[in-house]
Amino acid sequence: MKHIIKIMSLLVSVSAFWISLLLTSIIPESYTLLLPIYLIVSLGCYGLLMVGIGLMRFPTCPYESVLLQQDIVEAKEFLKENEVDVGSD
Amino acid sequence: MELADRAVGLLLSIISLSIFTYYTFWVIILPFVDSDNFVHKYFLPQEYAILLPVYAGVTLICFLSVFIGYVMLKSKKKKA
Repeated sequence: MKHIIKIMSLLVSVSAFWISLLLTSIIPESYTLLLPIYLIVSLGCYGLLMVGIGLMRFPTCPYESVLLQQDIVEAKEFLKENEVDVGSD
Repeated sequence: MELADRAVGLLLSIISLSIFTYYTFWVIILPFVDSDNFVHKYFLPQEYAILLPVYAGVTLICFLSVFIGYVMLKSKKKKA
């Protein structure tokens, strides 16, 4: 319940800020009317940028992957000796 | 395969940065430029600055609801 109240209060404060900008005309009115769409498009762009940067910096650890494959082979041999079904080879 | 991952990541970042700069230029800078400057050739009329994001958002919501409905129907048919 508290999370919904936080989200609703954020939404109400943002819309109050936008309506106050519209009424007091600090910025020319044509800009203020386009501001919400501009913020949503820039938020989507920012999310896409973070996904792209995360993809570029993903660590693959090739040394640990080789060790892991060796561990898997050892475990399969050990279990096969003790007559446990290890699936297809 | 990490080279393919990094290429896709770089492509995504470039697409997002170009969309951001194009949209910023369109919405904020273009109304200040005189109306017979040559730059106006490269940008669509200003109504499209609203129509294109709204259209993309509506398409995204439709696609998401169709996908969710399809998955729900498939799971219900498998259980029956």
